[in-house]
Amino acid sequence: MSLASGPAASKLAMLNKLSCAIFGNVYNPQGIRTGNKILRQRLVGPTINSYYPNVKQIKVREITRMVPEMNLVDLDEKTRLDSLAERKKRGKGPPKKGQGRRSTLKKK
Amino acid sequence: MPRARIIRDMKARATVASSEVVRQAFRYLTHNTALPAKVRAQAQLQLNAFPRNARPAAIHNRCIETGRGRGVLRAFRLCRFQFRLKALEGDLPGIRKSTW
Repeated sequence: MSLASGPAASKLAMLNKLSCAIFGNVYNPQGIRTGNKILRQRLVGPTINSYYPNVKQIKVREITRMVPEMNLVDLDEKTRLDSLAERKKRGKGPPKKGQGRRSTLKKK
Repeated sequence: MPRARIIRDMKARATVASSEVVRQAFRYLTHNTALPAKVRAQAQLQLNAFPRNARPAAIHNRCIETGRGRGVLRAFRLCRFQFRLKALEGDLPGIRKSTW
C-alpha cells in the first residue's frame, strides 16, 4: 500500500459501518432499494379530502322532519303537488292498475 | 348542490384518503428489493386490485364554484374567471386589479 493511495477500501467500509452504527444511519453500501422512501412520505389523505368546502344546503324537508311543530311550507313540494293535481284534473294523471300501456298491449 | 364532476372528484378523494395507508404499505412491499420476489408480486397484484379512484392520480383539482377542471388557480381553488369575478367583487382579501 502506497501512501498516495490512502487507506484501503475495506478499512473505509469498516469506518462507514461503524459511523452508521454510531449515528443511527442505515448501513447500505450497495445502495439496495429498501422501499424506505415510501415509508418516509407524508400521508396526504386529510389534505386531499378537505379540498372542497363542506357546505351542505339544508332542505325544508329536513327541517320539517326534525321539527314537525314548525309547520313550514315547502314551496317546491307544493308546486309539484299542485301541478300533479292540475294534470289529474285534465285527465293526464297516472293510469289505474291494469289500464297502462303495457297491460293493454298484452290483451290484444 | 355541487356539480356532478365535483361529486365525482369528492368520491375519488374520499377513496384515496381511506385507502392511503394500506396502499402505502403495499407500495413499500413492492419497492423493497430485499423481499422475496413472490411477496413483491403478490403486493403488486393487491395494488392492482384497488379501485381506480384509490390512486392519487385519479383526483383533479377543480374550481370549487363552477367545477371547471382547467385554468384553476391552486391557491384560490377557483377557475380564472371566478377568480376575476371574486377579486373585482373584493371577496379575495389582498387581491386587487393592477394597472401600470
